[in-house]
Amino acid sequence: MINDIRNTVLAVLNKNNYGYISPQDFNLYAQQAQMDLFEDYFYAYNYQVNKENQRTSGTDYADIKKGYAEVIDFFSVTSNLTQNGGATNSFFLPSLATTGSDFYLINKIFTGGIELERVNQSKILLLNSSPLTAPSTMFPAYTTQGNIATIYPVSSAAPTITCQYIRYPKPPKWTYVDLGNNSEPVFDQTQPDYQDFELFPDDATDLTMKILQYAGVSIREASVVQYAGAAEATETNSEK
Amino acid sequence: MSYISQYDYYENGGNAPEDANWGSYQYVSLKDIVVNYQLMYSGNHSLVNNEERYKILFHAKRAIQELNYDAFKEIKVLQLNVSEDLRFILPSDYVNWVRISYFQNGVIRPMVENIQVNSAKAYLQANDNRILFDQDGKALQPEYSPLDFSRITAQQPSIYLNSLSPYNGLMGYEYEGCWYFDFAVGARFGLNTETANANPTFRIDKKSGVINFDSTMANESCILEYVSDGMEGGDDTQVTVNKLFEDYVYAYISYQILNSKLGVQEYVVNRARKAKSALLRNAKIRLSNIHPGRLLMNLRGRDKWIK
Repeated sequence: MINDIRNTVLAVLNKNNYGYISPQDFNLYAQQAQMDLFEDYFYAYNYQVNKENQRTSGTDYADIKKGYAEVIDFFSVTSNLTQNGGATNSFFLPSLATTGSDFYLINKIFTGGIELERVNQSKILLLNSSPLTAPSTMFPAYTTQGNIATIYPVSSAAPTITCQYIRYPKPPKWTYVDLGNNSEPVFDQTQPDYQDFELFPDDATDLTMKILQYAGVSIREASVVQYAGAAEATETNSEK
Repeated sequence: MSYISQYDYYENGGNAPEDANWGSYQYVSLKDIVVNYQLMYSGNHSLVNNEERYKILFHAKRAIQELNYDAFKEIKVLQLNVSEDLRFILPSDYVNWVRISYFQNGVIRPMVENIQVNSAKAYLQANDNRILFDQDGKALQPEYSPLDFSRITAQQPSIYLNSLSPYNGLMGYEYEGCWYFDFAVGARFGLNTETANANPTFRIDKKSGVINFDSTMANESCILEYVSDGMEGGDDTQVTVNKLFEDYVYAYISYQILNSKLGVQEYVVNRARKAKSALLRNAKIRLSNIHPGRLLMNLRGRDKWIK
């Protein structure tokens, strides 16, 4: 998908000899565009939930929320957390170093099939001192601070803590072979650091428009920015 | 709780204790209540959403506590010997008492609560009746107040018609052909029915956490029937609710959350309140076990002459 999008972007930019963007710039814009759209998934999901509550959403093929949930679930990872030193209730949150990917959103942390409830730092002391709601093995809780999750209640042995989270999409990278002699770089997806977009194909248009906006700003071509912005807004509205 | 096999039910799968699952089908666990509530009554398309689990847990436990106080009719019974200092320490899960009896010669005899105070705190006093203090400014206290001491040493007469009555064992007197005992000779022509009980008496000191008995209860066996709050000493795994009240607990949680939530319309809160009350009534009726067979037994005795 990444090569198609790059070709489209270059085709639009080259019209009337507006300009050209290098592979390095394209990769930067591509990553930015992918993150923009990725974050939009969550807002769009919430928007669809609200529409359902207003009874202005359908079921079956009209169930838009389900589609967003599927896309978000694509980025779902379930992994055991790494204990932090000797403390039996301290664990590292998901990261490249511990679980292989950074988390965008922690959906749940659980142990032995029991979900731990995330509690704000402002509440945890109150919670621990309340006889009725103090965290127990049946209703455990956790707080986060920095990249550390602290589990309650504290047990004598560290439990196995598992986390299900939504990871960030991997940064896209359009890899190429440089033929020299002022030739155009040629797309080469066999390079080890090649990475296609992780978003679904139906987002190709949005990705193209986003990248065009960044590229338009880069080459100081206002008409490109306006065109891409308007096209994206039109597409977004049509999906609501 | 998931369904279990007959073997698990009757013999706990060969594990100890064997009776762990007996009668368990009557109850639904606290964990099931919270999980079911989160699954069925809370979420994006429900009246209740974005609520922390600990709030649901809190209201579930509060509902169970309230039910334990009266609706459940689950009376706990504890039998202990009364100590020499005539005290019976209240159980760790005690909330209120139902009946206190003493067990003697194989017979359970219900006791009455003494209408007179039988225990007090006291301070040490000097000859001029000034209170004595320690170096920290706290009033010095004797081990027993004079009231307690006289009770423990069996020097305190009782207004009840038991062996501590000042007239107990006195010779009777004959008047117009009838013999009268246990009464002072004089102008006493009736019986104070409130104190006309020959059994030992007690009084509960709630703050001190003890039941104080009269001196006839020393080393006697006492049976305390009481209600708890169902929290099982803080062990969440043991907290259960009778299935007849399951829907009520869900309704109670919904009502409490909606009632304390900002921006919920009053009619929604009212609806939740009515649902809660109606379900409580239904459950109480169900639990009362009024059924034809039992009514028949009562009705059969209606024509019996009371002599």
